[in-house]
Amino acid sequence: MKQVWKIGSIFTAVVVAWISLLLAKDLPPSVQLIVPYIPMFAIMSLGCYGLGALGYGMMVFRVCPEEEILLQKDIAEAKAFFKERGVDMSAD
Amino acid sequence: MELGDKAAGCLLLLFSTTLFAYYTFWVIITPFVDSDHFVHSYFPAREYAIIIPGIALVALVSFVLVFVGFVMVRSSQAKAKSKPKTN
Repeated sequence: MKQVWKIGSIFTAVVVAWISLLLAKDLPPSVQLIVPYIPMFAIMSLGCYGLGALGYGMMVFRVCPEEEILLQKDIAEAKAFFKERGVDMSAD
Repeated sequence: MELGDKAAGCLLLLFSTTLFAYYTFWVIITPFVDSDHFVHSYFPAREYAIIIPGIALVALVSFVLVFVGFVMVRSSQAKAKSKPKTN
């Protein structure tokens, strides 16, 4: 539960900072155009980061050829073992 | 098999980077550009920077919740069909 309070307080602080920026009076006009878009920009950045991290993970994922050979050997060994003890290994 | 995965990952990475760059330019850089510069023709009106992601977010969340609800209803129907004797 402590984590919820911590996250909630950080979130509230960020929202208060944003609202105070919205109500500030002496900002340059271009910056004042940007401030309303900050939350949606944050959400979009999070989404793009998630997609990018996913794509990057897919790119660098090891396919482990040595382990695949060993696994196939294990499977063949297990099948032979069960076949000589009379257990039915057909997929059903 | 892994080449397809690597290609899909690379495509996803490039797509997300392009999307982020376009969105950043649209939201943060266009207010600083003079209104008669040609760059403004590449971006729609700035209100759409909120409308389009907003609709996409709502659609995504709705899809996820509808899918979860559908699976829940189907599993409870299957359970009700396999136990008619208790009624």
